[in-house]
Amino acid sequence: MVNGQSIIYRAEQVIRKLPAKLDYKLVLLENHEDNIILRDGKVEKMLRATSLSLAINLYLDGRDGFFYTNDLRPDSVSSFIKTAFETTRLLEPDESRTLADPARYYKGGGPDLRNFDASLSEISPEEKIQLLRETAAEVDGSDKRIISMQTRYTDRQHQAHYLISNGFDQSEQSSYCTLTSIITVEGEGGQHPMDGWGESRLFFRQMPRTGIAPVALSRTLRKIGQRPAPSGRYRMILESPCAGNFLQPILSAMNGQALQQRTSFLWGKLGEQVVSPLVNIVDDPLQPGTRGASLFDYDGVATKRRELFTDGRLMTYFIDTPMSRKLGMAPTTQGIHRLIMEAAPLLTRERSGEGLAILVTDFNGGNCDPATGNFSYGIEGFLLEDGIIVQPVSGMNITGNILDVWKRLSHVDNDADPWETELIPTLTFEDVAFSGC
Amino acid sequence: MTSNRKDVYSDIFAENTDISSMVLQDGKVSQAQQVCLHGAGIRTVQGTETRYAYTMDLSEEELRKAAKSVGTAPIPGPSPNLSLVGKGVDSIFPEKETSPLPCRERLGEGLGALAVRQFLLDVEAKARALDPSVIKVKAYVSQRMQEVQFAASDGTSFHDFRPRSSLSVSIVMERGGKTQMGFASRMLQMGGEFFSDALIEEVVSEAIRRTDFLFSASQIEGGEMPVVMAAGSSGILLHEAIGHAFEADFIRTGDSIFTGQLGKQICHPSISIVDDGTLPGDAGMLRYDDEGIPGQKTVLVHEGKLNSFLHDRISARHFGVKPTGNGRRESFRCPPIPRMRSTYMLPGQATEEDIIRSVKRGIYAQSFTNGQVQIGAGDFTFFMKTGYLIEDGRLTRPLRDLNIIGNGPEALRRISMVAGNLRIDHSASMCGKEGQKAAVSQGLPTVLIDKLIVG
Repeated sequence: MVNGQSIIYRAEQVIRKLPAKLDYKLVLLENHEDNIILRDGKVEKMLRATSLSLAINLYLDGRDGFFYTNDLRPDSVSSFIKTAFETTRLLEPDESRTLADPARYYKGGGPDLRNFDASLSEISPEEKIQLLRETAAEVDGSDKRIISMQTRYTDRQHQAHYLISNGFDQSEQSSYCTLTSIITVEGEGGQHPMDGWGESRLFFRQMPRTGIAPVALSRTLRKIGQRPAPSGRYRMILESPCAGNFLQPILSAMNGQALQQRTSFLWGKLGEQVVSPLVNIVDDPLQPGTRGASLFDYDGVATKRRELFTDGRLMTYFIDTPMSRKLGMAPTTQGIHRLIMEAAPLLTRERSGEGLAILVTDFNGGNCDPATGNFSYGIEGFLLEDGIIVQPVSGMNITGNILDVWKRLSHVDNDADPWETELIPTLTFEDVAFSGC
Repeated sequence: MTSNRKDVYSDIFAENTDISSMVLQDGKVSQAQQVCLHGAGIRTVQGTETRYAYTMDLSEEELRKAAKSVGTAPIPGPSPNLSLVGKGVDSIFPEKETSPLPCRERLGEGLGALAVRQFLLDVEAKARALDPSVIKVKAYVSQRMQEVQFAASDGTSFHDFRPRSSLSVSIVMERGGKTQMGFASRMLQMGGEFFSDALIEEVVSEAIRRTDFLFSASQIEGGEMPVVMAAGSSGILLHEAIGHAFEADFIRTGDSIFTGQLGKQICHPSISIVDDGTLPGDAGMLRYDDEGIPGQKTVLVHEGKLNSFLHDRISARHFGVKPTGNGRRESFRCPPIPRMRSTYMLPGQATEEDIIRSVKRGIYAQSFTNGQVQIGAGDFTFFMKTGYLIEDGRLTRPLRDLNIIGNGPEALRRISMVAGNLRIDHSASMCGKEGQKAAVSQGLPTVLIDKLIVG
């Protein structure tokens, strides 16, 4: 149970005494976090904090107000809610703005998700600093080109208690810790290439104690000598850690708000094959011991495994209760918890290593038009010839239409990091337009 | 942290912020938000080591607990009473004088909820009156009032009120079965006086103009070419190409590509660039930064020479220079770090017509959505939403959705013409760094960059 839970029930009492009957959603959020940065062997920054706050949604005859405060003294909460009520009363009614159907709520009895490390806030800063020192020591002094090395530890315990007026009263909790190493080295022509590597776990005792800084150093050193490759059409191999970025415009276009505002290039395409048949993506929030696991969403709606794309067909949109009413569609859930792109073994061929290709290891800016899907993204990575790295590249753009490029997906690897919330493996796309020198 | 208290600098930043917003969608103002942030952050710095804790409970007991957890040094008097208006907060530092309230009386109140509702309805009406192909209007009004009290162990203290208002409008238009979406916004440090019919006219017209433009615009095959940056929001070039790399925390660690370049000629002598915290009403204006340094204007590049970096107290102490008033934080939850304010280039001698006429084939970049930079390599990008192809010195084909890439120092060296038409852009620009957002602005006269990669 969340500490200070009495706050939420006190807030409920204040709402019940308001001079109108209204629905409400109250969420009490409690977070503990530690952030420690070690730079060049010394502690540079240390932040320890606990925060408690209250989020309130008021629904009054189709009027919907959202309110958030961290001033939780009884008098302050009471006066905040009264002001919130007055503001909500001034709004215009919109009959779509209601709470979710209680029949869809999580009713309890779900599995233990095993995703909360209760001991995290009790582990001493000294022990966390020791982990940082061990991580940094792995590469300390190992290469004269190192200009600076930052090693960062972050952990977070999150607890939330939900109270919704039409019959939802549940708590959830989760935690994670992340260890990251970022290294800058002396490059060519006065450049200072920088890269990093990080690992996340749910429990402190699961954190890897070796390997992070060496990977960060190797990723940084391989960037020395980056320059644009000639413009042209290349096979694009998108490395797993950044592959999820290339899926984001498609996920955004599945959002009910974008559909309702007619700013989605996926409008009217439900059930159609919109991308390569190699694309099989699910949202699976119910796997215990994983990041993103959750028994219900922010509206209290019970989560379940959902197919987003099956053999390239668009299987669902993200439709919450208000958008469901506006669009005349059945509600699904608000968004994604744990995204998994699955390999399609029967269709996946060995990735071809012949000819020229560009291995993209990171994106650098760019955007995608939500209405058309036309995009232009900056990239960096490596030019490959017959599968061998011949030049580190940067300062290049890829352009095209996002659905067209996803139709040219030719290979799905099986190397996604299982500790992430989005498990997108390395992907290969054919015939992608790159602009460079 | 050692026990030598003389070396320890400490400060406390107490904040009470109210943010209210309303949204118009589908012809109705049916959504509102209010946010109250209340708390204090306590920091100690010894050398380059920072310890930071914050609390949302401003009772003396909790403040003392937070101070103890970071090993704070004593903060001498006189410094402000930490009682925030209306909150009755007790100071952890006894016998303090109450500081004057410097600006509240001049600010006036924000716009009330009823008036905001009508304002948003007027936005919708204006959009539909201007163009019958408008099918959706979404408008968002936000008003923020941040009250800050600050005291430091070196005797610095201040008490400030920081209002900020913004209007954002997105328009969807439909023609011949095709839809396009455009966007415009404004953000200023103002209260209720921000809202006017003129503002509606300006922002809605701009959003419609940009949306209309998209129907006829297209992408082009990319490559290296000259880029003319139009006056105004093209200041994103300075923000991404050099601004971040001039933030002195990146210089202190050696990460920035501009490390070691102070005093050196880095671009043409006709170019001077400033970062300014003194522009009245500008989103980046600061009477004091978030560690008590008075607002000021910092000359980054003077006649082509690198003149100064952007310092907070930590980097200034490291380099033995005065802080430049760039220590900013998103809220009491975050320690301050060097951030930009309003970054712009001073006007030159050319005219925009001269510059366009000088280009055989290139692009004229007009409006932008986002950008970013890699500090070490200096590679920056910004996304051009609208612009034109230049052919034989004339604007020809409308262009859209192009990412422009360059290297900061190289791009600066390749600026060969600067016009006299400096314009500061007041769109709602929020800059992100280390998970913290800061309101900024930027500006540029029309300039020619001889070569950038356009995609």
